[in-house]
Amino acid sequence: MTQTASQQGIRVAGDTNVGKVRTTNEDSMIVDPVRGLYVVLDGMGGANAGDVASQTARDAIREFVMQRRTTMEPRALLEAAIQHASATVFNAAQESRERHGMGTTVVACIVVDLKRAVVAHVGDSRAYLLRNGRVQMLTRDHTIVEELVDKGLLSAEDAERHPYKNVLSRNLGAKPETKVDVVDVELRPGDRLMLCSDGLYGYASAEAIQYLLGSGDAPEHVARDLIDLALRGGGGDNVTTIVIEAPQPPPSSTEVVRTTGAMKWWQRRERFLHIAKDRGLTKNPIVRGLEPDEALELIASSLCQAIFHDLEKSTGVNVWTFAQNIAGGWFERSGDWAPLRALMDILATAARAVVDDIGVTDAKLGFLLSIAVSRTLVVAELAIGGLLAERLNRVDAELIKVHAAMQETLDNVPDTSQETSLEDTGDRFIDNPTVPFLRPDRPVTSPGVSAELIKAIEQTITIARSRTSQRAELVKQILSSLETIAIDATGNFASAVLAARELYGVRTVDDTGIMPLFDALDQARIITAASVHQITATDAMRAKVLRALSSANQRLVAATTGLVLEAVAPYSERLREVQAKTSEMRDQVAAYERKRADLERKYATTIDHSQPWEKRGTTEW
Amino acid sequence: MSTEPPLARAYDNLRPIVLQRLLDMRATLDPSFGRIDEATARAQISAVLEHLGNFLATGDLGSHRAFLQTFLAMRAAEAQGPAAVLAMLVAIGDTAAQVAQDELAGSIDGAELTLLLTRVTATTARAVNDLVAEELARRVGQWNDLAARERGKQ
Repeated sequence: MTQTASQQGIRVAGDTNVGKVRTTNEDSMIVDPVRGLYVVLDGMGGANAGDVASQTARDAIREFVMQRRTTMEPRALLEAAIQHASATVFNAAQESRERHGMGTTVVACIVVDLKRAVVAHVGDSRAYLLRNGRVQMLTRDHTIVEELVDKGLLSAEDAERHPYKNVLSRNLGAKPETKVDVVDVELRPGDRLMLCSDGLYGYASAEAIQYLLGSGDAPEHVARDLIDLALRGGGGDNVTTIVIEAPQPPPSSTEVVRTTGAMKWWQRRERFLHIAKDRGLTKNPIVRGLEPDEALELIASSLCQAIFHDLEKSTGVNVWTFAQNIAGGWFERSGDWAPLRALMDILATAARAVVDDIGVTDAKLGFLLSIAVSRTLVVAELAIGGLLAERLNRVDAELIKVHAAMQETLDNVPDTSQETSLEDTGDRFIDNPTVPFLRPDRPVTSPGVSAELIKAIEQTITIARSRTSQRAELVKQILSSLETIAIDATGNFASAVLAARELYGVRTVDDTGIMPLFDALDQARIITAASVHQITATDAMRAKVLRALSSANQRLVAATTGLVLEAVAPYSERLREVQAKTSEMRDQVAAYERKRADLERKYATTIDHSQPWEKRGTTEW
Repeated sequence: MSTEPPLARAYDNLRPIVLQRLLDMRATLDPSFGRIDEATARAQISAVLEHLGNFLATGDLGSHRAFLQTFLAMRAAEAQGPAAVLAMLVAIGDTAAQVAQDELAGSIDGAELTLLLTRVTATTARAVNDLVAEELARRVGQWNDLAARERGKQ
């Protein structure tokens, strides 16, 4: 007989069984989610009096709680209900000779709300709490042996073997009044309370009970499995269990993405393929030679699947592998960046469209997937970036080889022909920027500068100047440069490079030469950013000024950095040469050391140690 | 990708926490950061975070690319390859998004800022790859020119 119910998200199930030996079930239970009342009773007494005792107590408790639950505090209510039941059973026992001496144990629980429960008990029926996978017993059996242990008159080991270990010291019905133990339990999400009669723990190991209780199965399954466990253990007594489960904590964002998110993503697989096709995936040069369906399957479907698996497992390894395979294959075929970039853009657009679709029906999930899918796209860029960097390194190594070969040719030709050779070759390798990514003359697209913006920039710079210390000449000079660069309508780096050359002047490549310049650039940036807030303009205009000035600052810093790095480049070349020479000399020294050691070994046997060292004819000194 | 002022402000408020978290993990962020003293590392990481704030406020992709190009050049001069720079910039973006998620949990600003920072990280990764690809094309051209000259002389 299984009873299942739920109370404000709390799931409950109770089950009871007569067992394999007894003919009547003297256990009783209450599973009443409306009142949050859950009780297990284990009756005792000859001539079927046990079941009468447990049922009488059950009905008394239920009735008492129903009548007083709105007027009494839960802890007092439960204790009073049990006292009332004890008196009722006692009185019933007095009325009939057959029932004389009947009694019952009880373990009862009132779930007050999602955060609190009260547990009370008399006798050896028990309550357990499962929290974070660990089981804790909330009750202590009221047996004579346990009380002797409590008083220190018996050891725990002796108690286990004691012949009276099952003799109760308290029960309901022996006297009109009994002592009830009550504990308050602060419930946490996912907690499980289990009430049971001794027919469970007497025939099942504590480990097996803990395993089933912590299994994560639904309470009705757990209650039934616990009963089965006791029956498999012999089923020598009636057995009753009630499992009460507090609502599980809400799933974390990661869990939502791994489960619902991954599933929803996969359900929109066809939509992903459709958008990828619409955006021209099948026409991309990378899939040239493939049928459209093949291209979709090979590229779009593979990425869709990779994203699904990565969402499901919270990793990026599948998308990483996908991007590496596609980009690696394409680069092996000497493919350009543009088609690969276009392909990735198509796939990213399709992915975002699918996520937007999901967001229409479930905004929260859509949001979480937006983040997760954006991250997978970053992973793809990282994988491709690794391959690009590897290729760049290879090309750099080739460039150095060609440069070395050219240098050797120049070094070997006679002086008279050298001039001709230089004229013939035009720019030398060293004339080009040797530090990667260094192109200060690179034009930048500019949206143009309006008269209103120019006025606002000038106003900002005037305020910035007034806020600058009289002695900070360099900062003032930089402010003027920033103004010039910011209002330069051409939008290229020319004005920034000119300003940087002027600021750089005759500085030396060391900390005293360079650092004050960069410090001043930084100060100018801070002052201008603060001054923008003081101009009389709309918020939109302030944003434009901030944008123009921070862009100007970046250009000026970039151009200045360019000058510094170019100034350092020849030293780097020299340093590399010196390092190569040093390494060569170290090799020579090592060779001489080896030769010396060989000679010493060769002549070691001929050394006459009785002679003073200067006469031994060895290299020792 | 211009941002409403509240999000840029929210980011500015979080910046010290992001900076501290990045300083704590700076050795894993980039080995060269592990070798330098905290004040220098602080200044360098602050510059990236400050730029990120400007990008959030202005949404100016041109300036973003210019900043990344300078950053790549500076790191290259310190013998750090573009793949490592990309990984570092992604780690900085991810950390900023993580801090926004942790510190502003449950608020609309927190959610939007987390999403925005994740997208900015994706934009940054793409921009870095564009720059590396452009540099690669330029260097391949340079190598082809030099190789052709060498062949011509022979």
